[in-house]
Amino acid sequence: MLTMKDIKKIYRTDSIETHALRDFNLHVNEGDFVAVTGPSGSGKTTFLNIAGLLETFEEGRFELDGVDISHQNDAARSRLRNQKIGFVFQSFNLIPDLNLFDNVDVPLRYRGFSRQERKKRIEHNLEMVGLGNRMKHLPAQLSGGQQQRVAIARALAGEPRFLLADEPTGNLDSSMAQSVMALLKDINANGTTIIMVTHDAGLATQANRNIHVSDGKVSEKAMSLSPEAAQFKPSQHKRVVGLSE
Amino acid sequence: MTDSKSPSFFAENWEIGPIFRALLRNKVGAMLIALQIAFTMTIVVNAIYIIVERSDKMQRPSGIDEANSFYISSVGFSHDFNSLVTTQEDLNLIRSLDGVIDAVQINAVPLSGSGWSMSLQTQPGTEFDGTGTAVYMIDEHGLNSLDVALVAGENFSPTDIQTRQSSQTHWPDKVIITLAMANRLFPDEGLAALGKTVYINDIEPMIITGIVDQLQAPWVGWDNVENVMLTPEIRDAKSSRYFVRTKPGQRDRVMNEVESQLAKSNSGRILRDMRSVEGTRLRAYRDNSAMISILVTVMTILVIVTGLGIVGLASFSVNQRKKQIGTRRALGASQLSIVRYFMLENFLISSAGVVIGAALTIVLNIVLVDAFSLDPIAWYYIPLGMVALWLVGQLAVFGPARKAANIAPALATRSV
Repeated sequence: MLTMKDIKKIYRTDSIETHALRDFNLHVNEGDFVAVTGPSGSGKTTFLNIAGLLETFEEGRFELDGVDISHQNDAARSRLRNQKIGFVFQSFNLIPDLNLFDNVDVPLRYRGFSRQERKKRIEHNLEMVGLGNRMKHLPAQLSGGQQQRVAIARALAGEPRFLLADEPTGNLDSSMAQSVMALLKDINANGTTIIMVTHDAGLATQANRNIHVSDGKVSEKAMSLSPEAAQFKPSQHKRVVGLSE
Repeated sequence: MTDSKSPSFFAENWEIGPIFRALLRNKVGAMLIALQIAFTMTIVVNAIYIIVERSDKMQRPSGIDEANSFYISSVGFSHDFNSLVTTQEDLNLIRSLDGVIDAVQINAVPLSGSGWSMSLQTQPGTEFDGTGTAVYMIDEHGLNSLDVALVAGENFSPTDIQTRQSSQTHWPDKVIITLAMANRLFPDEGLAALGKTVYINDIEPMIITGIVDQLQAPWVGWDNVENVMLTPEIRDAKSSRYFVRTKPGQRDRVMNEVESQLAKSNSGRILRDMRSVEGTRLRAYRDNSAMISILVTVMTILVIVTGLGIVGLASFSVNQRKKQIGTRRALGASQLSIVRYFMLENFLISSAGVVIGAALTIVLNIVLVDAFSLDPIAWYYIPLGMVALWLVGQLAVFGPARKAANIAPALATRSV
């Protein structure tokens, strides 16, 4: 599903070379909910950027859903991102001048869906995250948790195979964080593979797989699923609609 | 679903609606640029219209062989100066020089800005209005010297030529007029004016013995600049002007030769104001040329300032929206999509600008027509101006749009 083999990523300035990832190896199966933890500067975000086709890498092999990414040009990578990957960012990254409907519409337009198809998907996904009645609101009129749910709706509207989440609860209080986490687990239960970068060890334990990145390398933790996480086996659940904070 | 299709080329996905709604939420910057475009269009379109109008005027043919013609004045001062004898000797001398096609004594020169005017009417009597006309007094060499062609009738014969004294008020009984003058005197009759009688000084009859195709009056700013009459007269005056036509390419040499030979031939006069007709044309249209230069300069500066304004706003907008652009890229926008986004945004702003500009252009034109008696602007200047300003906008925004397209999608995950 997602395979990284000996990935090497180096950031260069005039005088400094920083090895962000070195011999990075990972295989993620369909339906996994992978939590990625590690200290600041360990390479978590670099990994997420490469996994999300936001950045290229120097060496190694990366296959996403059977496609060898190594030699894809920018346009092809953009298309793959749009079709196969949904992003959830720490600071939500909603476009402040667009209402919720238009925000969720952004990736769907790049996808080339018809107007009717886009409308159906936007309404469905905003309903799913409990914001179906606020489609004409601007992001600034929502709480942080609500904004993150809009971001999740936007990420899911294109029905991606992967959902990549970068500290999705980092800007939320614990109550909202749990609400968003519950939504993510529900999405995973519905079959979407999730890779989530987080600093929060508590949240990480709710994933069904936990990897630790340190000094640009993976060290996978033992599968010690918490009872709570164990409840969310992907094959056993359908998507739940309308979570509240 | 249209997954298999390239998403970039479907108009319905070009984000016109979201861009428009976003612009409505951030009106000030966009409105300022739209107004700048509107004012620029207003001034540029009217300026271009004035330039074209002036250029058309400047391009009008005078009817004479400008490239190979010049004139020179002779002013007698000695007490025994005989005007008529000197004039005839001078003309004989000039006509005999190598390179001269013909020469004539003339009272005024087309394009020169000073000359004689009279009024012709088709019926005798003070109760009838006349038609204003410039007057050129020439002998039988006149038409050949000026290089004007008869389209009807005949040239003056030597016996037609009368001597005109300075204080004389009566006129010869023959006249050659331009076709334009014939059409004014006898609308819809044109060449049929040949042989008809017109009246000068209200009651003096003149028979139209010839019609020439084209000849301008000395005053280029006169609305009826092609109203011209030619009379068969040679002036008996101490001041005399000779108009000379040379063979192609020999004008400058002949000018020096004429000046030198005339100076030698008679020491009782001075020679002055020798000018080529080309030089006279430049002087005649000097104000128009200056106005065109000023308008072109103003237009260029305005367009550059407007273009820079658009570049500035777009660059500012790109810098402010780096994170947003990175997010769009992360969500699947290609570089082309980002370029298209900014160009569409500019197109919408420019559209508002050119629509306002079209209205202001018409208003300014009405004011100009009223103040300076111009013709109203031709309708097609408006759409041409709109397209030009749209293009300026698109060209100006292309650089910042490309810069935006180069923003890395990874910026979406950075804390900037």
